[in-house]
Amino acid sequence: MIYNTSSNNISSDTVSNNTVSNNTVSNNTVSNNTVSKVAKSKTNSTLLLANNIIKTFRNGEQETFVLKGINLTIPQGKMIALQGASGSGKSTLLNILGLLMRPTSGELMLLDHSLTNLSDAELSNYRNRHLGFVFQYHNLLPDFTALENVAFPAAATRGRLTADIKKRALLLLDKVGLSDRSNFLASQLSGGQKQRVAIARSLINNPKLVFADEPTGNLDQDSAKQVMNLLRDINQTDNTTFLISTHDNSVAANCDDIVRIIDGKIADV
Amino acid sequence: MPFSLLVAWRYITANSLQTLLLVLGVSLSVVVFVFITALINGLSIFLTQETTSKIAHIELEPANKIARVLTNDNRFVAQPVSTLQRKQIRNWQQVIEIAGSTPGVSVISPIVDGNAFLVRGEATQPIAIQGVEPSKVDAITNISSYIIKGTAELTTGGLIIGADLADELGLFVGTPVLLKSERGAERLLSITGIFRVGLSSLDQRVGFLSINVARPLFDLPDGITSLGLKLDDPADAPAIAKVLQNSTQLKSTPWQEKNKSLQNATDAQGRTGNFIQGFTLLAIIISISSALLLSTYRRRAEIGIMRATGISRQFVATVFIFQGIFIGALGAFLGAAAGYQLCVKLASITKADGSSMLPIAPSEGGYMLVIILTIVGAALAAVLPARAASAVDPVEAIQQ
Repeated sequence: MIYNTSSNNISSDTVSNNTVSNNTVSNNTVSNNTVSKVAKSKTNSTLLLANNIIKTFRNGEQETFVLKGINLTIPQGKMIALQGASGSGKSTLLNILGLLMRPTSGELMLLDHSLTNLSDAELSNYRNRHLGFVFQYHNLLPDFTALENVAFPAAATRGRLTADIKKRALLLLDKVGLSDRSNFLASQLSGGQKQRVAIARSLINNPKLVFADEPTGNLDQDSAKQVMNLLRDINQTDNTTFLISTHDNSVAANCDDIVRIIDGKIADV
Repeated sequence: MPFSLLVAWRYITANSLQTLLLVLGVSLSVVVFVFITALINGLSIFLTQETTSKIAHIELEPANKIARVLTNDNRFVAQPVSTLQRKQIRNWQQVIEIAGSTPGVSVISPIVDGNAFLVRGEATQPIAIQGVEPSKVDAITNISSYIIKGTAELTTGGLIIGADLADELGLFVGTPVLLKSERGAERLLSITGIFRVGLSSLDQRVGFLSINVARPLFDLPDGITSLGLKLDDPADAPAIAKVLQNSTQLKSTPWQEKNKSLQNATDAQGRTGNFIQGFTLLAIIISISSALLLSTYRRRAEIGIMRATGISRQFVATVFIFQGIFIGALGAFLGAAAGYQLCVKLASITKADGSSMLPIAPSEGGYMLVIILTIVGAALAAVLPARAASAVDPVEAIQQ
């Protein structure tokens, strides 16, 4: 995973150079271990590329810069932690990278396709096909069973809850250790179980990249450990990339790389 | 089953009490719609039947003489029309054949009618005489069913009069009375029957006698003054009247033309009913729309999650439209069934004379119309909530 702290506008070429250069990394205080991870990432294909992302929010006459030129490359198969204090722009960055929010300026590329000029419907389609989401408060649909929750993103897009979607949903529930709870309503599950169902749901469309926003933030220690082990397992077995926003250093320590955001800029690892 | 349908069904069954109340609210509006429609249609049918059962559905009379303007050497010349000529239908048997072969015509009654005075001692009262064939005394007005004294049988010297006229002149069955026609002829007749139809125009002014007695009184040895026709369906009168006018060249008047006030009254009732029906539908739309709108706010986080996982706005909107349709359909069918039962119950309540207390027509409740309108209305009512739901910003909704 390559990052850039510059708030200056940079061209794609610069980003490209950064991607392959150790220079940027070596300018920062990184351990040898981190450098080796970065070096290893060079062999991975680029999944998501953010180029000079700026996000401002306007409140009347006042314009607040939340992201001040983020350059980021996320390679395939990594598990990356995103850390930062409250108000640092961490959630905003996660929302922009997850195509839930448009940047004020800058460019995003997913699987070598520019997403800058896509319509809302096209972005929805990208989210559905290539991205997964796990939220802090699991956000399951309470009136649906665990199986239906997992199957939901695929069934809604295809228009029907087909047998093959059900089969995959069951497979994912099995993977997260909840196959025996498939017919339980979401409201009948414990917090940890709900989060595991949410992880299974995020994987239903076989996404390339899963965004997890404080996935263990609302769980007890045991459940948090289970969830992190599960994410790591999925990362290693399916080569699914994770970008995990977390305040928890133990969660971050379990990731391949850590991106820290301070005041709207990427700081160091 | 489309997944959006499943989701919509799950949503409306998830909060069964709220859905039940909503469906009951819609049903109640549908019951009101059905009741009003059945009552207005029933009233219209009742009034029409009351009227058409007592009068000819089509009257064929000699055409009015109209002065025609002809051109002669580039000058307009008014053609003189004789007013001395008696208006009568001479070839009435031929007309009966034509009318009889016209589809929709059920009964034809030749009539010799005219004005006369009924003289009893020094008292005199005007009377409109209807000379009809004795076998067809009930053909146009079912006089037999309204006879309160005597008989409806038309004998050679018999006269049937209305009860109000009988009261005026103090006449009873068997009382001899002198009839002086407008042509100056006189005949001593005997009251054989007294009827009370309930229409003062008939009860006070009309008398029936045999057509053979009427002929010399009105100086019509061969012809008749008019033909009264009954139809299978009185509503067809304007169309059939037009056909008969063309085929007989007689003046052909449907009953609606002679009862415009009735038509106006039923039209006014219909318009009033339309207003009530419109407001009822509006109430349905508002109740469904407001309930679904509340639901979109309650489910904002869920909708946000759907949108975050890439589910399209269209899917979200469809779920809410389907919810509206479900609620509308359930309410419509339930309300239509309840409305029908209510109308049947009300129609079965009778007065002392056995007639219905309310002129309600349970079969005319506009069931198909209200079901379609309610479902369409419910779908339209769901548009606003559906738009609101589909516009939910996933970021804001998830952060709630």
